[in-house]
Amino acid sequence: MKALLASTCLTLGVMSLSSMAYAQECGSVMIASMNWQSAEVLSNVDKIILTEGYGCSAEITIGDTVPTITSMAEKGEPDIAPEAWIDLLPDVVKKGIEDGKLIQAANVLPDGGVNGWWIPKYLADAHPEIKTIQDALAHPELFPAPEDASKGAVYNGPQGWGATVITANLFKAYGAEAAGFTLVDSGSAAGLDASIAKAYETQSGWLGFYWAPTAILGKYEMVLLDWGVEEDPDMWAKCITVEGCADPKPAAWPTDHVYTLVSTSFSERAGADVIDYLNKRAWSNQTVGGLMSWMTDNQATGEEGARQFLKASEDVWMQWVPQEVAEKIKASL
Amino acid sequence: MDWLVEFPHMNDDSLRALKKTIDEGFRGFTRSHGDTIEALFSPLKFFLIHSERIMVEAPWPIVTAVILAIAWIGSRSWRIVLGCLVTLLAIGFFGMWEDTMRTISMIFVCTLLAVVIGIPIGILMSRSERFRRVMNPILDVMQTMPSFVYLIPVVMLLGIGKVPGLIAVVIYAIPPMIRLTDLGIRLVDKDVLEAADAFGSSNWQKLTKVQLPLALPTVMAGINQTIMMALAMVVVASMIGVQGLGQPVLKAIANQYFTLGLFNGFAIVGIAIMFDRVSQAYGKRLQQHREVTHG
Repeated sequence: MKALLASTCLTLGVMSLSSMAYAQECGSVMIASMNWQSAEVLSNVDKIILTEGYGCSAEITIGDTVPTITSMAEKGEPDIAPEAWIDLLPDVVKKGIEDGKLIQAANVLPDGGVNGWWIPKYLADAHPEIKTIQDALAHPELFPAPEDASKGAVYNGPQGWGATVITANLFKAYGAEAAGFTLVDSGSAAGLDASIAKAYETQSGWLGFYWAPTAILGKYEMVLLDWGVEEDPDMWAKCITVEGCADPKPAAWPTDHVYTLVSTSFSERAGADVIDYLNKRAWSNQTVGGLMSWMTDNQATGEEGARQFLKASEDVWMQWVPQEVAEKIKASL
Repeated sequence: MDWLVEFPHMNDDSLRALKKTIDEGFRGFTRSHGDTIEALFSPLKFFLIHSERIMVEAPWPIVTAVILAIAWIGSRSWRIVLGCLVTLLAIGFFGMWEDTMRTISMIFVCTLLAVVIGIPIGILMSRSERFRRVMNPILDVMQTMPSFVYLIPVVMLLGIGKVPGLIAVVIYAIPPMIRLTDLGIRLVDKDVLEAADAFGSSNWQKLTKVQLPLALPTVMAGINQTIMMALAMVVVASMIGVQGLGQPVLKAIANQYFTLGLFNGFAIVGIAIMFDRVSQAYGKRLQQHREVTHG
């Protein structure tokens, strides 16, 4: 009996010891996946690399830009936001960094994110004179609103996206209402996507907010409208990104900077090698676009996409990690 | 022993091919028939848009007076009318009047449609055991299938906005209407039916003069449940662009505006209670009426 007790104690002791050693290495980490494809696949790539390569116990939580980054800046949770479009809420990110809750890691999409108002390619081909937003706003009849065909429609994103606020302000700035347009709230990412798919399948007009790199734009070819004006950083920061700004003026949408955000508490408890990885990891819009169109063609989940990427694009990810980590990851696939 | 641990499933490639084929089939269908189906639903859209326009654009005292009048006719109870008045004034005072009107208009059209479709189906179910056996699993699917599963295909067919929202709401809210109509007619006393037969009434007379009037309290309970379930779908409907109280709720969730969420949530609850009390009081009055004449 005594021997049994002793061995139990020993086992427990060893187990707790080994889990402690584990914790010092990396421990548990919560990765925020966003509800669009590129962020979803990247968070899965991070999960596999951190789990298999660095021995973390990584979990994915689904979030949205505004709540996730706000929660990181306020509470330091979740630990990693792999694809944070920080320009959508610059103040929150700045405050989080100043308060020591957040660290800005890799510039994960060096090409930047392209936001804007898009029209389908077939429409742009049929009406080559439409080049800028002003051109499109002169033709409400080409973009009939779903509930009032006498008006044109600008499709906006769902509530809660930073880009939705911006699009609403730009709608005001460009005088779209006076031009005979209404702003259509699509309600959800799925609703916005379905409205594009519907327009494409029936070859009808569509004008609205979207962004690249995305699978939808890989599948349905769209043309970005020119802003017709230059960037105006002052107007952008003070008015266009602010909800309910009284007097917005037209301004070009700056290319978004897309960074990985890491909570300070995780950077302190994780090893330097993990942080080194998060500082290095980056991929081009072309790589992401190709991967996403593979995922859409094969109806793959984020995890399947991540595995496909790790299998097929070794030349990209081998540069992010040291040799021995890469071997471990390869062995796990 | 692999097959013991892992469930023997269809191989991945053919499974993927199957999914792709069905999806492509649906896309092809959208491409070729999308416009026709959209035209088919356009009267409904017209009705929805105009009912909303009337509710939103009419002066608020008139709308309030009409709602209170309906509450009085339905319930004949000053307490309920007063409760409705307080609820409406509070909603207006906290700046949710327009969204509330949109939601009420949506719920009104949905309920009307559910009643018009649901009662005949319920009658058919009560008359034919076979039809009932077919309908029951369909009703189960309608109540449990997650809405977004069929919403996105519907949006691809009909575009974003009110009509797909209406379809989602009606699919979710109509089963109690059908089930309770069926139940109400089945519960009508056999002796009463025998008496009707003895007086030589036709099937139609039996249905309209005996079964339906006696089933009315149960049918009213069905309408009441339909309204409640339709209101529960307001937020889901707003995820495909239906205007109303659901939109600010979504905004509140996404931005963590707790107060905004609470206000609009309570507005939905307020409408629900108004509808519930009035329709229940009406149902009770019908029952009293029955007890006097047939008691």
